[in-house]
Amino acid sequence: MTTAQKQRSRSHRLHAARSYLVLTALAALYIAPAYYLVVGSFKPAADVLSGLRGFVPEHLSFDNYRSVFDSLASDSTGYFWQFMVNSALISAAVVVVGLVVNSMAAYSFARLKWRGRDKSFLVVVALVIVPFEAVAIPLLFMLNGMRNSLLVQSLPFFANAFSIYLFYTFFLGMSKEIEEAARLDGLGSFGTFLRIAVPSAKPVFATVAILTFLTTWGQYLWPSLVVSNPSYRPLPLELSVFSGQMPVDWGEVLAFGVLLVVPVLVFFVSFQRFFVQSLASSAVKG
Amino acid sequence: MSNLTVDRSPRRKLRWNRQDIPGVAMAAPGVIGLLVFVAAPFLVAVFLSFYNAQLNSPRAPNFIGITQYSRLFADMQFWRALGNNLTFAAVVIPVQTAIALGLAMLVNQRLRGISIFRALFFLPVIFPMALVAVIWRLILSRSEDGLLNSLVHVVSFGQVGAQDWLGNSATALPSIILLSIWQGVGFQMIILLAGLQEIPQERYEAAQLDRASRWQQFLYVTLPGLRNTLIFVVLLTSILAFRVYDQVYILITSGGANKTATQTVLYQATTSVFDQNNLGRASAITVVFFAIVLVITVIQRRVVRQESEA
Amino acid sequence: MKHRKKAGASIAAVTTAALLLTSCSSGGGGTSSAGDGTGDVEVWAHQGKDTEVAALQDAVANFNASQSDINVNLTLVPEADYTTTIQSTSAGDLPDVLELDGPTLASFVYDAKVAPIDSYVSQDTIDNATGGDVNQGTVDGTLYALAQFNSGLGLYANGAMLDAAGVSYPDSIESAWTADEFLSALKTLAAANDSGYALDIKENYGLGGEWGTYAFSPLLQSAGGNLIADNKASGVIDGPESVSAMEAFQSWLPYVDPDEDDSALVDGRVAISWGGHWMYPGYSEALGNDLVVLPLPNMGTGTKSGAGSWTWGMGSNTGQGAAAGAFLDYLLNDENVKAMTTANGAPPATKSALATDALYSAGGPLELWGQQLEAGCNADSVTSDCVTVLRPLTAGYPVITSEFASALAAIATGDDAQSALTGAATAIDQSFSDNNDYK
Repeated sequence: MTTAQKQRSRSHRLHAARSYLVLTALAALYIAPAYYLVVGSFKPAADVLSGLRGFVPEHLSFDNYRSVFDSLASDSTGYFWQFMVNSALISAAVVVVGLVVNSMAAYSFARLKWRGRDKSFLVVVALVIVPFEAVAIPLLFMLNGMRNSLLVQSLPFFANAFSIYLFYTFFLGMSKEIEEAARLDGLGSFGTFLRIAVPSAKPVFATVAILTFLTTWGQYLWPSLVVSNPSYRPLPLELSVFSGQMPVDWGEVLAFGVLLVVPVLVFFVSFQRFFVQSLASSAVKG
Repeated sequence: MSNLTVDRSPRRKLRWNRQDIPGVAMAAPGVIGLLVFVAAPFLVAVFLSFYNAQLNSPRAPNFIGITQYSRLFADMQFWRALGNNLTFAAVVIPVQTAIALGLAMLVNQRLRGISIFRALFFLPVIFPMALVAVIWRLILSRSEDGLLNSLVHVVSFGQVGAQDWLGNSATALPSIILLSIWQGVGFQMIILLAGLQEIPQERYEAAQLDRASRWQQFLYVTLPGLRNTLIFVVLLTSILAFRVYDQVYILITSGGANKTATQTVLYQATTSVFDQNNLGRASAITVVFFAIVLVITVIQRRVVRQESEA
Repeated sequence: MKHRKKAGASIAAVTTAALLLTSCSSGGGGTSSAGDGTGDVEVWAHQGKDTEVAALQDAVANFNASQSDINVNLTLVPEADYTTTIQSTSAGDLPDVLELDGPTLASFVYDAKVAPIDSYVSQDTIDNATGGDVNQGTVDGTLYALAQFNSGLGLYANGAMLDAAGVSYPDSIESAWTADEFLSALKTLAAANDSGYALDIKENYGLGGEWGTYAFSPLLQSAGGNLIADNKASGVIDGPESVSAMEAFQSWLPYVDPDEDDSALVDGRVAISWGGHWMYPGYSEALGNDLVVLPLPNMGTGTKSGAGSWTWGMGSNTGQGAAAGAFLDYLLNDENVKAMTTANGAPPATKSALATDALYSAGGPLELWGQQLEAGCNADSVTSDCVTVLRPLTAGYPVITSEFASALAAIATGDDAQSALTGAATAIDQSFSDNNDYK
């Protein structure tokens, strides 16, 4: 190595070291609440609320987790696995059906011509900014007969204006030549959508899937309005039961919180690289 | 309510040709879904806002014209709530984006194990907001054993006593802003990271050859290169910022947060129904809220369009 | 052209909404029927403490096992969402038997969600109910609900800590602390305690919820004020007496422990805990003989306390009236009432159980609170003699409690008492006038 190279590599190492330091400090500070959640879930409640000692991993045990499962062990309270399954089914339904419905609609708006298309699209765009919270109450009023079912917790969310918009901006940018080639090959509109558009839109599909999954898994307001029967209750709503039951056992609440997050974490870790890339690239193109 | 069929007569007698059918068929489920579950409830809300109505009451609602609106606009609590929404958005949008950008730049380095850091910063994003509210309620507890109070106590060598972060009107909204940013930054960071990685390295090298300082590189290479991504992130965050609800509701009802200082417009809407069974008022709030968000979104788009035309 | 067509669509939507509204609103108001006394009975209850839940589940299991004609299915709904859930469920979807938070009964009668129970429950059961229980369950002269237990509210204290600090404490209703005595006691106790606190008011329950109204509205009545009088809140809830009560409350706050872990008294961080009967089992186990039970402070016209608790009613559309009534008779028998009150430390709401109750009858540790309940009255007829005051029996109660509790929570964070209470008064009055006083 030349002197210049040696100098550069030394300054690189210094620079790297400094970066690691900054990153570690920031990450530690940033991740502290999550660490507190996990450590606290293994501690007795009294230790959870003890200032900075709450960070020290002492008196660890699985007691809180055991209590969570023990107290959710009857038909009247509901079962933990049942809450988990409810959340999973609802999320899966909304994600899968949503991907189909919204991507089809977006493709239709972006690439097909039909009477009423532009007006309908205007309506969709206008609806993008309507937050769910704003229509929750009138929707409750309308769907009152369907309460206490998994369907009522999924059906209203299949069609999503924001997802349509994300798909739309992507499909707009698709090249016309490939489409024309497909048409020449005899593929109809739907066939083109299925064979050409969908495979090329994998990043957007992944993005929409993640966003939809995150929002649906964490839903609180709507289930609190339409579900009173534990058999249909999803996980986050059950969290409020735990933290609302006097006397509150904070250790148990944190344990429940960890159980609430773990499936999502597993989901993400498994598909991590793919998701991060796709999320990013769709945003850049959008 | 068992025979619920929302009869949406078509906008016009559309005569669709055979060519139109695929397009219409593909768009139909989505559009119908949106009309039934988003547009229709909204219109019902508009309708109800002119009435004094209750949920599940055997009494028919009675028409009171614009009384709900006139009361709303005369209600200081409503204006305060709206102010809270605007303050929240005005702080969160720039601050969260700036932090996200900073973090994105930090994790954009080719260091070993950098993906671990990326994952750590992204982690809070996957926490449901209900859980985030519970964790932060403990952190912000006003007792001396609360995490933040302990930390402040240690860092200030015992000078600063235990604060009621959520109850004190000065610190309540900032606390909620803090935890919301904590939860949301990772998401923006990932998007901005991808945007950063799209910027060709040559531009930085060219700038360095021109003896540009780090700061100048940032201004003249990074920012312009990130333009589209930044716009996307800002628009997305704006929409999400106005929809702040779960954490506010949970922290006010069970975390001891100062209601006046933290309540939002949507919180007022739901409590009108939950606590007072005043469906008419809740509907009026919904309508007003939608109008405000619409106006702001339109303004934003105008600004973006102007800039891109300039 | 475009406008007309857009208008057409809107009119369609509006008409649809109107149809929905009218059809929905006539879906309430049911008529109950007796059925044949056999079959399934759906029951909803709130998910409270573990021990209460267990006692209820046992009662259900035993009832099902003891006979084969009726099968009871129990569903538990989270306590925090319970009343809201009933409010958002239409009458047709309500169960045969449902628990209700006492003061909300009138509003559910107003919404035609509950059925009168006097034709389904045996006369013996009705006769055995205490006066306060019948008062709570009666709306417009008709009986809609009966309870297993009433509630007790007062101050728990660690007698040893009080003695050590030299603070004298009341031993009867008449000798309750005055507001000034209470404040100075708090100061002394806080100074004597490492934690710097003296009082726990269960902030962790959330002062903005029903606990706020239940535990602290008696202060208004004790000072000579009230929540509402003659269907008007203005001048009453924000009258000078009520405001002074709340200002006194504010003066105690510096000595109040946040009590996130719900164990301030047990851990010795405070000497006094503002509490209800459900805390008795835990406190007596932890403090043993050191635990003393005291009346709430006397704000001017004599100490006042709260009463009323969860009660049992029947869904207005039930087709199983007779079977439901049989279940209620069983639930309200001595054995089950005692099991429940042992689990939660509550005063029984049946005469036979109360007379032999270990805690509340003469000589028991909670005798003072039992005496409080004997001198009970309704919120619209408060006298200087009565001690426990039922929360206002009006269909507009949900608004009253939500406004008062919000005002209380605001006052607890330092807001000005007068303006907080006046805000509550305005909102309550507006709601009452909009709804024709909820008649």
